[in-house]
Amino acid sequence: MNRFDLLNKLHNILKENLIICNIGLPSQELYKINDQPNFFYMLGSMGLSSSIGLGLSLSQTKQVISIDGDGSVLMNMNTLATIGNRAPSNYTLLIIDNGSYGSTGDQRTFTDENTSLKDVALGAGCKKVIECPGEETSNELSKAIEDKNNSYVIISKINSGNVKIDPIPLNPITIRDRFRKFIGIVKYL
Amino acid sequence: MKISKKIIDNLKKGGVDFYLSVPCKLLANMIDILENDKDVYYSAVPREEEGMGICAGAYLGNKFPCIMMQNTGIGNSVNAIVSLLQLYQMPVVFLISYRGTPGEPVGAQGGMAKITEDILQTLRIPMLHCSSEKDLDKISTFSNHAKVVESPVAILCDFNLMKDDT
Repeated sequence: MNRFDLLNKLHNILKENLIICNIGLPSQELYKINDQPNFFYMLGSMGLSSSIGLGLSLSQTKQVISIDGDGSVLMNMNTLATIGNRAPSNYTLLIIDNGSYGSTGDQRTFTDENTSLKDVALGAGCKKVIECPGEETSNELSKAIEDKNNSYVIISKINSGNVKIDPIPLNPITIRDRFRKFIGIVKYL
Repeated sequence: MKISKKIIDNLKKGGVDFYLSVPCKLLANMIDILENDKDVYYSAVPREEEGMGICAGAYLGNKFPCIMMQNTGIGNSVNAIVSLLQLYQMPVVFLISYRGTPGEPVGAQGGMAKITEDILQTLRIPMLHCSSEKDLDKISTFSNHAKVVESPVAILCDFNLMKDDT
């Protein structure tokens, strides 16, 4: 199972929640599978998907899922400490861990060597940390969303590999405004 | 405490209701005030760049966010400012303790001080430079300006303005 297969399998869950999706291929693949107004696609700022989702979950009550990657979490690892101390129960961080920098040519990351993001997350203070194969991710993500008392970090271990795909054609302000309209903030669209 | 209280009062008057900080000793009184304020959200955050991401999410969720930090934090955050806050036109207030300005005892702070305003200018971020107490009266209107122009804005508070605010 690669990222595209996983996102395809998770789409039924994702479309029901507020999604912050990591820059590059994760966003492009999610857009190609089935675009939704409640999907916020990052067009820059690698590393900050988990942080954007955390800020969003602290600011309103709907369930938020940040879709992140192993390379991106390695770039902003302090985020796990902030999540471990501040994340509310409507927050889930889904780390798609394929052990590689998928968007830049599948160079290996440190999770393909000695680093365990599960251990880092636990050490950073995250209480509910699940590491599972891609095939079980849908089930684990559903359980995390149903639990109204805890935030979760789910690390989905999959194979590297990408689908050939085009950049997202949406304007950033379109992504912003339709997302905020979905939440009920923007009224003029 | 008088200066710090005035800054927070003016930020709140400008609509700011979500605060993060990467601590600085010049921000300590403001952090104390915010930690005891039940009307707004406040948290420390380990790194400024991460804070920019959290502020972006807070804006998406209908908050008006402020990140408090030293001017060094701007250096840590340039890509997040340009490729996130400015790309999506998100209003965020940067409340900056301007380390390295006259009165500063730590010489090493001078390096970032020399280029802070140049960086902000290059980023086209509107600036409010506060060097005396009366400058603080402009903070609420200036903060609201961030929302009007959908842009991050920066408030710089000089070392000498903050240092005796005990």
